[in-house]
Amino acid sequence: MAAAGGGSPELEPAPEPAMELESEPEPESEPEPEPEPALAAELAARRSAEARRLVLSPRRLSGPLPAGLSQWFPALEVLDVSGTGLTEMGTELLSLPCLHTLLAKNNRLGGPGSLPKGLEQAPLARSLRVLNLSGNRFSEVPPALLQLRGLRSLSLGGNRLHGIPPDIQELHSLEFLYLGGNFITAIPPELAKLPSLRYLVLCDNKIQSIPPQLAQLHSLRSLSLHNNLLTYLPREILNLVHLDELSLRGNPLVVRFVRDLTYNPPSLQELAGRTIKTRNIPYAPSDLPESLVRYLSLASNCPNPKCGGVYFDSCVRQIKFVDFCGKYRLPLMHYLCSPECSSPFSSASQSSTSQSESDSEDEASVAAHRMQKVLLG
Amino acid sequence: MMEQPVQTETWKARSLEELVRILHQIFAEDKVSVDEVQALMESYESNPEEWLQYAKFDQYRYTRNLVDNGNGKFNLMILCWGEGHGSSIHDHTDSHCFMKILQGNLKETLFEWPEKKGNGEMTKKSERVLRENQCAYINDSIGLHRVENISHTEPAVSLHLYSPPFNTCNTFDQRTGHKHKVTMTFYSQFGERTVCATGVPQENN
Repeated sequence: MAAAGGGSPELEPAPEPAMELESEPEPESEPEPEPEPALAAELAARRSAEARRLVLSPRRLSGPLPAGLSQWFPALEVLDVSGTGLTEMGTELLSLPCLHTLLAKNNRLGGPGSLPKGLEQAPLARSLRVLNLSGNRFSEVPPALLQLRGLRSLSLGGNRLHGIPPDIQELHSLEFLYLGGNFITAIPPELAKLPSLRYLVLCDNKIQSIPPQLAQLHSLRSLSLHNNLLTYLPREILNLVHLDELSLRGNPLVVRFVRDLTYNPPSLQELAGRTIKTRNIPYAPSDLPESLVRYLSLASNCPNPKCGGVYFDSCVRQIKFVDFCGKYRLPLMHYLCSPECSSPFSSASQSSTSQSESDSEDEASVAAHRMQKVLLG
Repeated sequence: MMEQPVQTETWKARSLEELVRILHQIFAEDKVSVDEVQALMESYESNPEEWLQYAKFDQYRYTRNLVDNGNGKFNLMILCWGEGHGSSIHDHTDSHCFMKILQGNLKETLFEWPEKKGNGEMTKKSERVLRENQCAYINDSIGLHRVENISHTEPAVSLHLYSPPFNTCNTFDQRTGHKHKVTMTFYSQFGERTVCATGVPQENN
């Protein structure tokens, strides 16, 4: 049924037809680990210089990939070792010259040494396009993985990751990144440095906020954020104009304005500092105590690009509900220097139709007197 | 059209082709029994070789692949769900909906209809995980549902029968109960990929 070898496969999680050299499936559900010599002997017997795909599952491997694999199948492009109980890949991978797809899901990888040393110099570092390590035991993204500079698609779904390393930006060809079902609490802004990223899955994690830099992912078409701990999104998310899919369910998103809020007005020191900065009143270190000079240096520009104001400690956060793509009403966080700072806001709707039922009570009107500081516990 | 019939057959579909043939037979009658159709769908033991040609996956979202258009009486289609793919909460436009799992697992969450002026979180009625070869049934009088592949490692494939056929439905925002009418399209028909104009953002919640 399967074409011999087949062309270069698209990334398809589809059930695949019988592969080029599929081993006999074990009758029992939990088979005994295969003694390596037996498997090695069988693979050696079926060696082929032309075979491009090899599926080892659902065999149970007792050790790393058998030595000799690269000699018996030198033309291997696709290797599927999913569900084999692998605890370490082994060094044989380093000798495969044309491997572009490695599927190793549902194994026991995750400990130190799961990926072989010397990956950086191996042909794999340039040839590998697709890597699926979902359903393993990784508690961190192994640094060796970041050597795979040609990687287009990476899945680490269903592992035990607590974070994403900033060096993920090294995988600059990445288009597809699946990190759903982990324990990730935060997203590093460096993730936004992946220029080709089209599909980003972060569902079923523990993420509390999205860095605004994520809006720099210009190629992003699909963003999966459902089942996290988000209460709001940064308003920059509207800049993702190519976004077709956005999942947000199962987050404790703010739905309504929290009306009863105490607004803490800025201190006299803050007001004085603002005046000095916005009016460019000159001062020298000899004019002021050191502590105040330091204080003045901490002025931040109001995030509203149309306001020339600054603020020090007292910054108003405001949530506006915006139609996104004509369908969603997202709570987006605005930062403003004061309630009087008006924030003209254009919703980046793609479609001209908006929700038929407009809930004016929830909708944030720009009127300055309604801006309130929102406390998000 | 669907009521308790005079007689109920116990069918066994031994292949997908046979399933389609028996469905045509059943739906040629004036009266069709929900139980009969559900039992028939459940009797078919999923054989990937028979439906692989319809199982076209998309990277970004689940796909709907038409298998048979039932002489206008029903639509039979295969849905392909990548890891983490799910549907919005939706209704069924006064039609009957049967959903059988062909591969993997799907979680079905049932919701109550929101109040007229829906302005609060929608009420969950129940949820369950459907296993391979199980067949679920729903219609608008039962409620609304969300279907999702909650696996991060396995894709899922399901076989759906809708009668009468429909191509629009309402999707619901879980947080507010607001509804929004959408048009559904086919990713492929009879095994052939259908390329249609995109640019319409896809509702996923």
